[in-house]
Amino acid sequence: MTIAGFIVKNALRNKRRALLSILSVSVSLFLFVTLLTLMRELTSPPEDIGASLRIAVRSKVSIADPLPARQLPLIEKIPGVQAVMPLTYFGGKFRDEEVMFAQFGVFPERFVELFGEAKIPAEQFDAWKKDRTSCIVGQETATKYGLKVGDRMTLTGTFYPCDLELKVVGLYTGTLDDRNVWFHQSYLDEALGNWGNVGTWWIRAASAEVAPQIITAVNAAFENTANPVRAETERAFQMSFVSMWGNIKVLIGSICAVVVFTLLLVSASTMSMAIRERFRELAVLKAIGFRRRELFAFILAESMALSVLGAVVGAGGCWLLANTVNIEKATGGFFPFFDVTPRILGLAFAIAATIGIVASLAPSIAVARTSVVEGLRTLD
Amino acid sequence: MPDIVTIRDLSKIYRQGEIEVTALDHISLTIAQSEFLSLMGPSGSGKSTLLHIIAGIDRPTSGECVVQNVRVTELDESALADWRNQNVGFVFQTFNLIPVLTAFENVELPLLLMNLPSSRRRELVLTALDLVGLADRAKHLPRQLSGGQEQRVAIARALVTDPKLIVADEPTGNLDHQSAEDVLQILQTLSREAEKTVIMVTHDPRAAAYGSRNIHLEKGELQLA
Repeated sequence: MTIAGFIVKNALRNKRRALLSILSVSVSLFLFVTLLTLMRELTSPPEDIGASLRIAVRSKVSIADPLPARQLPLIEKIPGVQAVMPLTYFGGKFRDEEVMFAQFGVFPERFVELFGEAKIPAEQFDAWKKDRTSCIVGQETATKYGLKVGDRMTLTGTFYPCDLELKVVGLYTGTLDDRNVWFHQSYLDEALGNWGNVGTWWIRAASAEVAPQIITAVNAAFENTANPVRAETERAFQMSFVSMWGNIKVLIGSICAVVVFTLLLVSASTMSMAIRERFRELAVLKAIGFRRRELFAFILAESMALSVLGAVVGAGGCWLLANTVNIEKATGGFFPFFDVTPRILGLAFAIAATIGIVASLAPSIAVARTSVVEGLRTLD
Repeated sequence: MPDIVTIRDLSKIYRQGEIEVTALDHISLTIAQSEFLSLMGPSGSGKSTLLHIIAGIDRPTSGECVVQNVRVTELDESALADWRNQNVGFVFQTFNLIPVLTAFENVELPLLLMNLPSSRRRELVLTALDLVGLADRAKHLPRQLSGGQEQRVAIARALVTDPKLIVADEPTGNLDHQSAEDVLQILQTLSREAEKTVIMVTHDPRAAAYGSRNIHLEKGELQLA
């Protein structure tokens, strides 16, 4: 027999309790990892190479307020601006159902300058530029709805009082979210009876260094007009959507804290019970020569083994799930990404280790304080 | 035989709030090597307390206890634990075997502290189990053994480190007549043939009769039998 074998036998002496302890840790940490991953996906918008150069301009009053198309030439004149393009969220239904892909009106000829990472065959891109009623569709959406080049798709307006009859002329890949549908802003403008507005402006800065000056200049240019704007980085713009959820970080953080705290109480209680039952045995071990630090090591190792095993099952299970199950499909496209990062996994294991240590403290102190004679009398 | 235990003017007073209870009252005693000493007395007479102090698991309020030339009362906790591991074997009334360990593993426990190779540990454990007649039960768990067999495993555990001193607190208290006799004969044999010093606390005069010397304690004071 080895010391490790002795610890394992002790940890598993009450198999039902050990199993329930491991399960309580694993379920809690599964929830913890899931919540942290969700929070990460919700609060950390995906970033690509072009993101540092992109600036979003929206109405200062509300993101739902459109901006006048006449702002375009003024923005184009601002030093450092390489390209400007409208980006108008249509939010239509497809095949009479709510869809998990966004549809945007843009200037096709400026599209590559703003979102150059999209990969699309040149002839399809040319076809899009030439046909005002055409659109290009992200590969994921095309696959999901069985769309191919040449198909027609009708987007039924929900925000706007019009429907868009679009012809699919190209399929693209290579962006962080290959689900969107892009169409001509001019087509939307026409469908709305020469609307003369856009949803937002997107600017590509000549370099990351000039982006702050551009933001300042754009904000200043329209400050005293009927349509003041808020220019911001792409990341800040994305975060403004997150803020619509309320303070989701605090909410999820609070749930995580409650989960961890409850888990700590459960684990400490379980370990205390497990050790309380063995007080006399531990007194016997002391009598035959085991020192306090060795008994503390036994209790700590047992507690750590149960909690870390729980973390392996819970956090590891979450990681395995994220890497084997199509989360995008499982969530109906709500979460296109679900990356259980090493940092989140590390945090889960660190919490498991901390719980293991903290849960072992009270019983270890109790054992250390109890003399051999008191311990031997415990169950007499 | 030389003295293995020397006790001088030993007192133990328990304080429970403002009340003081004298468990041992200025006791002086010597115990020779290979002696089988029976400690008798009514409940609360202090016999277990005396046994615990000699074995180094309790400390006196005053006085001196020297075992094998070591002043056990002056050792710190850690040194005392090492000393117990190497010099004292314990036998308890309720056997106190670890239920999840086999007889072999229970006997092996004290050896885990001695940095011995597993082959040497195995040899010592099997020898100890053989001495108590349980080599064939090495793989049995305590619940698969009778009370007498459990106590014999406990004796093997007490013997396995080859201590000079074996302390037994009511070792036959939970056993039937036959098992009690078996256990007492083993203890007697250890004293007579292996020159172990055995100190046994008992209420039972028949058990005490196995000892080479009987001592009575009454209200914490020694009374020669």
